[in-house]
Amino acid sequence: MDASILTIQPTSPEPIYRQIVEQLRRLIAGGQLTPGEKLPSVREVAGFHAVNPMTVSRAYGLAESEGLLERQRGKGMVVATGQGISRSENERMQLLEPHLHETARQARELELPADEVVRRLQQLLGE
Amino acid sequence: MNAVLHMDESALDAPLSVRGVAHAYEGRNALRGVDLDLPRGSVLGLIGRNGAGKSTLIRAMLGLLEPLAGETRVFGEPALRLSDAAKARIAYVPQQPEALAWLTATQMFDYLSRFYPNWDAGFVERTMQRWQLPTNRVMAKLSPGERQRVDLIRALASQPELLVLDEPAAALDPVARRDLLREVALRAGEAGATVLFSTHIVSDLERAASEIAFLHDGQLLLHCGLDETKERYARLWLPASQSAAAPPHALSRHRHDDGSLSVVVERGEDGGWPEAARLPGARVDALGLEDLFVEIAE
Repeated sequence: MDASILTIQPTSPEPIYRQIVEQLRRLIAGGQLTPGEKLPSVREVAGFHAVNPMTVSRAYGLAESEGLLERQRGKGMVVATGQGISRSENERMQLLEPHLHETARQARELELPADEVVRRLQQLLGE
Repeated sequence: MNAVLHMDESALDAPLSVRGVAHAYEGRNALRGVDLDLPRGSVLGLIGRNGAGKSTLIRAMLGLLEPLAGETRVFGEPALRLSDAAKARIAYVPQQPEALAWLTATQMFDYLSRFYPNWDAGFVERTMQRWQLPTNRVMAKLSPGERQRVDLIRALASQPELLVLDEPAAALDPVARRDLLREVALRAGEAGATVLFSTHIVSDLERAASEIAFLHDGQLLLHCGLDETKERYARLWLPASQSAAAPPHALSRHRHDDGSLSVVVERGEDGGWPEAARLPGARVDALGLEDLFVEIAE
């Protein structure tokens, strides 16, 4: 993978290091990142996204402590073995749960009809 | 805010240290007792509205202005009596650079490169091209934006240990702005440079900054790690019927026309929001930096 696989929204209320960890979690759970795969260096991510290297280090450190990544001698960070596609659909669904709740909350606040929201979501999933 | 309350022992030779600085122009208070320490390797975004006192604070910090009260130190030396050795470690880009305006950019770079042992001529050449700046026109004839871009290149080329930028973003298009943020972030994170930049465009600093400080009306309202700020503060909205239960010590409170109340609240020791957040009808909204700034600076 290279640094462009990550999307960073600096103005989001969610700190950048958390955005990175969440994306790694999803990419690993979804199989886009496979066990043993090498991650871009802190410098590559920081340079590509023009963010502070300390923020990227913090994200990698947190992902490591959660068992998503592991540090390999001479190779840097890699996706931890035992991570990834072995996760059940149920577990992967759990990762999406907070975002679905948030979308549902906003849809209710905007008083949007449920079937419209579902139709649009289906459209996006089909893309 | 303990996360970045740096202790005095480390402040001894801290790149920047300010104690009780106050200043006024023609009787109007510009700074009203500011304390601030900047540890090595940090990138501080100084946020404030126009007229909040950002430029005055920066000028006082660097000894370019003698404040009416207080003490300012750079690398442990009094800012008003800096040694040449300390000056060589600093680069400052004012909002409107005026120095050496009778030279062309190339002439200025040639001249200055002799004073800086780590002058990066390759960086100058690359960035002048990338930022589309004329090398052979007298700088007095450049537009204010071009002039500031040349000055940013000058400052970065000297590879300073302390880089102070006053509203650098205004002169830059989005591509150049991203370039600048990248330079700032990498130099701080890798070379241990310390950076302070002021801005009223909050989104600019969110990529690169490690800390933020809100300057409002000559006072620092908040100085905290950037991530901690986003995680620690939120807006609590209470319907009119519950508004009496609002926590008494909020950073800001706004009463709305319908009697409902918005307050900026802080997580407690246990990481939870104040009790009022659990009242029926209460709502806690995460705040981006810009929203937080607007809430407390209004």
